[in-house]
Amino acid sequence: MGSRRRYLFILLFVLGLVIVSALVIVKKETKLGLDLQGGLELVYQGQPTGKESSVSGQDIEDSISIIEKRINQLGTTESEVARLGNENITVSLPGITDAERAAERVGTTAQLYFYDWEPNLIGPERVIGGHPGLQPPEGPLKASEERWKEAGRKVKAPKSQQLLFAGAYPTAYDAALLASEQEPAKNCENCSVAKSRFYLFDKNAPNDKLAGPELKEEDLYVSPTGEKIPKDGIVVEIPAGTILVSEYPTNGEGQLDENAKPGWFAIKDDPALSGNDISEPEAKADQFGQPNVTFNFSGSGQDAFQEVTRHIAQRGQASAIGPVGAQEAAALSGHFAVVLDDEVQSRPIINFVENPDGIDGREGAQISGGFNNESEAQELATTLQIGALPINLKLISETQVSATLGSQALHDGVKAAIIGLALVIFFLLFYYRFLGLIASVALGAYGVIFFALIKLIPITMTLPGIAGLVLTIGVAADSNIVIFERIKEEVRAGRSMSSAISAGYKRGIATIIDANVVTLLTAFILFVLATAGVKGFAFTLGIGTIVSLLTAVVFTQALLGSMSRSRLLNSPSALGATGKGLRWHFDFMGASRWFFTISGLILLVGALALATKQLNFGIDFESGTRITAALEKPTDEEGVRDTLNSVGINGEEVQQVSDPNFGENVFQIQSHQLEPGEVKDARSALSAKYGIVQDGFDSTSVGPTFGQQVANSALKALIFSLLVICGYVALRFDPKFAVPVLIAIFHDILITAGVYSLTGKEVSSGTVAAFLTILGYSIYDTIIVFDRIRENVPRMPRAAFSQIVNRSMSEVLTRSLATSFCTLLAVASLLIFGGTTLQDFAFAMLVGIISGTYSSIFIASPVLTAWKEREPGFIRRRLRIAEVEGNVPAFADDIQTALLSADEDAEAEAVAEVESGQTAAETQPGAVATAQRTGGEGNGAEPVGNGDEAASAERRARNAERRARREKRRKHGRNR
Amino acid sequence: MALLVFFTMGIALWHFTVFLPDHFWQGIVGAFVGSVLGAMIFGLIVQEVSGRGLGDTDLLTALTAIPGVVIGLGVVYFLGMRSEQLD
Repeated sequence: MGSRRRYLFILLFVLGLVIVSALVIVKKETKLGLDLQGGLELVYQGQPTGKESSVSGQDIEDSISIIEKRINQLGTTESEVARLGNENITVSLPGITDAERAAERVGTTAQLYFYDWEPNLIGPERVIGGHPGLQPPEGPLKASEERWKEAGRKVKAPKSQQLLFAGAYPTAYDAALLASEQEPAKNCENCSVAKSRFYLFDKNAPNDKLAGPELKEEDLYVSPTGEKIPKDGIVVEIPAGTILVSEYPTNGEGQLDENAKPGWFAIKDDPALSGNDISEPEAKADQFGQPNVTFNFSGSGQDAFQEVTRHIAQRGQASAIGPVGAQEAAALSGHFAVVLDDEVQSRPIINFVENPDGIDGREGAQISGGFNNESEAQELATTLQIGALPINLKLISETQVSATLGSQALHDGVKAAIIGLALVIFFLLFYYRFLGLIASVALGAYGVIFFALIKLIPITMTLPGIAGLVLTIGVAADSNIVIFERIKEEVRAGRSMSSAISAGYKRGIATIIDANVVTLLTAFILFVLATAGVKGFAFTLGIGTIVSLLTAVVFTQALLGSMSRSRLLNSPSALGATGKGLRWHFDFMGASRWFFTISGLILLVGALALATKQLNFGIDFESGTRITAALEKPTDEEGVRDTLNSVGINGEEVQQVSDPNFGENVFQIQSHQLEPGEVKDARSALSAKYGIVQDGFDSTSVGPTFGQQVANSALKALIFSLLVICGYVALRFDPKFAVPVLIAIFHDILITAGVYSLTGKEVSSGTVAAFLTILGYSIYDTIIVFDRIRENVPRMPRAAFSQIVNRSMSEVLTRSLATSFCTLLAVASLLIFGGTTLQDFAFAMLVGIISGTYSSIFIASPVLTAWKEREPGFIRRRLRIAEVEGNVPAFADDIQTALLSADEDAEAEAVAEVESGQTAAETQPGAVATAQRTGGEGNGAEPVGNGDEAASAERRARNAERRARREKRRKHGRNR
Repeated sequence: MALLVFFTMGIALWHFTVFLPDHFWQGIVGAFVGSVLGAMIFGLIVQEVSGRGLGDTDLLTALTAIPGVVIGLGVVYFLGMRSEQLD
């Protein structure tokens, strides 16, 4: 296929793609994330329970499926349940505002187990409560009464008597001590919990339970609400095979009295049935009109139920002396306990007179007495109906965004994107004129195709996603700049337009691919390792980078190629390629020591700031709750604090902020992590006292576990990105090129961290995404420079490495500055127009891009130079140049090249001198370009050797003659 | 946080090695390694010996890195000189 036909085909293809994309944009709706449309997001961490000792992928998948069914019961549409990392589940509920109810419905584990009660009692409990109908022995009973008295419980109160005679302990601590003394079960296949569990108790009597059960001891010291618990309490480990359960006494109507203090039991963990063995749970009312939950048993459950109740009946029968009536039998009958999430819900007797062969499982059973109202019974029935989660779910993060704030964020993000695009287009048109127009058309096509892909895949558009979108506008424009600068160089070099375009694309494509691969790698690593919000950013960045390759490279090449013979393109002024162009003639390498000093000083300040002011980590990392409330009635921070204190929320920071939607009467409250119920309390209290503007309430809660996970994933992403990117650079360039890249990245990230520390700006998960993008961008810029160095090395076979680098820098500095400026325009738009969240992200990006551009030129390249100059080949070159020129000039001019080419003998001599170790180049790192050989006199032109004096004198004379000749030519050139 | 401070100090002070003669083992890159490792290892030892956690940082934490950098650079410089002599 001829090139014109190929170009035509590509143009038609892209045109078709744009039309289809436009249709997709019109037809399909954009899927907005919760941060843009409002709603509730819950993040749960899966913890092992039941028979499993760890959380498997299947457990997570099963839980997701069960949670989805539960969410459907909430009546929300467009909800999303997704796996996050290995053991987390994220639940997005658009439009849901009752966080407490949603969290309860979604995350309740509902671990239901049925126990043959008496055989599972342990020690004194069994002596007292393990023999129904018999008077407990006096000794153990007295000891138990003493325990109850010591615990401050009224021993003679009917409710206490009820529990005491059942064998219960008055405190969890007493029961836990008994449980901890038990041997771990050797075979725990039938246990409800397969691992040891930890409890934390107050060290002072009555040793209240402070935390637990937890599967890890360290989890005891941070409460589910994020509060740190002192480590001076008593830790009790309960081995697998034994569990601690509580039981509330019943009132006169047989209802569990949850206002009374419970009794505690340590029981053998040998359940007869589990929640998996039941079917058709239903909320009903018993004969007294009290709510209960009835259910049937599954096939195997029916047999197991009949079996266990038969055992209980036979045991009761054995304890009876002679025939007894049903009423007398009731006192002697054993119990069958229904335990839900470590709490005894009911403990009915199995009357052996009424059910001598146990209870037929086909008749089902019921849970009664534990419900305060019908709604509670209905919720348990629903939970049991959908199924118990195979794992425990711990709520580690909760974000509630009001619809108004979400729509404001969307508005800000879109505005920033449009302005960013306009600024980039304006710059391209101003600087590249007709080429800029081509690039703008390509950017337009890019925008349409990219947006259609977002709708088609569909990518859930989040705020970080918008940031990624805006950034890719800059990246797409960068690709064009790299190529256009190449084309301009070729045009200035005298090539025809068609060959300049062809050469520009041919030479620019390697740079673009290298740079984009690095961006893609960063995006991929971010997507795999980072947390949910950052994933959106990574995905849009990755997709955007791929689309930009199509539009900025393939499409523009086809467009320019098909127009290459037009009159417009043949005018250099239309391309901004008139004159010789801006060619820098600055000794970059020579001046590098001063740039190193500047960087060193900036980093020193940064290090001191990090040491004294640290980083202001946001709740993403530190855990806590942040509430934004727009109030109707005016008040001050003290007023808000008092209101929160009145509902038991203390230790919070309150700050009055202004909001474009809600005005000045907006308060931001930050505290330790609050439970969904507490957030609800805070909202109710503020609403009652000051009134809350409609949609003016917003909250985010992050647990310590999630914060730790965010930090860990960020660190992992950083390390992986560094390794992968350095590997790529080493592979594509030279292993030695990877080290300066690494140093430049450290430089940029540390400078950004220092700026964050100095300014006290908050570091959030978005900032981490920005840090990682800086990493990608810093390399993007460095690659542009290194690519030209790589290209110039074979072109300048006799030049010193510093000269090659100086030449390369002078060639690409404009390009490098233009790409950075272009991206800065997009980022500046985010910073100014992007709203609070995007502003934080953009600030990190702004600092990083400036630092990245600077480090590519003034840090990475000098380090590379200093290191490469130590290679024997380049040492020889320097020596040769110094011998001929008297020193090593910053730039290798034509005269030097000619002289060196003409004097092969001098080269051979220099090689011999180096190899015999007669000379040593004394250079200083970072100042290699201007460094002169030491040991000589004056400006060090003469090499020091101990060879033949006559030969040396002759060589000196020859060199002096050359210098004079060179000076003469230079003067002649100037006069002319 | 202390590790980050040591690392930043190490890199910051390394920048000034451009004013020293290049006798470091592996040149400027060797100086970088010496500076950063020296700062981090020495800083960690001091932090450990003084019984301070890695989260506790102040001005002294930053200054602690300086002797580490000097030691690290000294080692790399010594290695470089020895290597030059052997060559």
